[in-house]
Amino acid sequence: MPVKLLGILLAGAAASIALGVYGRVHDPTGEKPYTLFFSETINLKVWFASAALLFAAIQVLLALRLYDKIHVPRTAPPWLGDAHRLTGIVTFGLTLPVAYQCLWALGFQSTDTRVLLHSLLGCFFFGVFTIKVLAVRTNGLPNWLLPVVGGTVFATLVLIWTTSSVWFWREFGFPSF
Amino acid sequence: MTFKRIVNVIEVVTLVIAIAFVVALFANEPGGSGGAARSGPGYDVYLENCARCHGQDGQGGIGPKLAGGAVVNAFPDEADQIRLVEGGEGTMPSFRGDLSPAQISEVVEYTRSGLK
Repeated sequence: MPVKLLGILLAGAAASIALGVYGRVHDPTGEKPYTLFFSETINLKVWFASAALLFAAIQVLLALRLYDKIHVPRTAPPWLGDAHRLTGIVTFGLTLPVAYQCLWALGFQSTDTRVLLHSLLGCFFFGVFTIKVLAVRTNGLPNWLLPVVGGTVFATLVLIWTTSSVWFWREFGFPSF
Repeated sequence: MTFKRIVNVIEVVTLVIAIAFVVALFANEPGGSGGAARSGPGYDVYLENCARCHGQDGQGGIGPKLAGGAVVNAFPDEADQIRLVEGGEGTMPSFRGDLSPAQISEVVEYTRSGLK
């Protein structure tokens, strides 16, 4: 395995483990650090996570166009790569206040299967995201790496969203602002 | 300013925000100077199972406030509170099976007398 690839994978693993350890060691505060313009922190989290998923889906579509897997628009505009990057940045930015509240107020929990899965996926997401960001900026890596890691990031986000926002909708109804 | 430069600026700003969030995780670590008793079996059970929603000192958060007699006001009869902890209700999960009856009694007692 090339040293570069190994280094990137180790960095991602370190990010995931660091978050998991923090979540486990840190005493959950149970507090609501912010609500911004939402009525409740939980509503903020549901909407931010949903918006993040939307931007991530757009990013996947843009990636498919970049890799010529879809042909809409017929001629790829020159700004396509930057638009792809921008949607990724926005996705990441939207996950930050959600992840902070999860880690700081709730910590790594294992009270039931959904919660355990959500905790594990949350830590895994930022590890895979780290791998993707580093892989984009590193030359000489296998061609399959970016699509695989990008797909994994998106799939992980879908699962995180399913185990949180979808669960919230099913349990408590459509969230207000 | 070209689109690429705008994206670069947004990227840097997002990176700074991410770093700020990481710093805040450690900077906002609870100091542990609240008025709640911080020892005993009830406290341990509370910290492990309840604090993440009701706050370390029972000050409330995602779950309602328990400290300052709030839980006694809500449940004058201790048996009602035990039933809620066992069976759950709304966003409050059921702890039957996760906690033994003795642990539930301990933690309920702690919330009623240990959380000032």
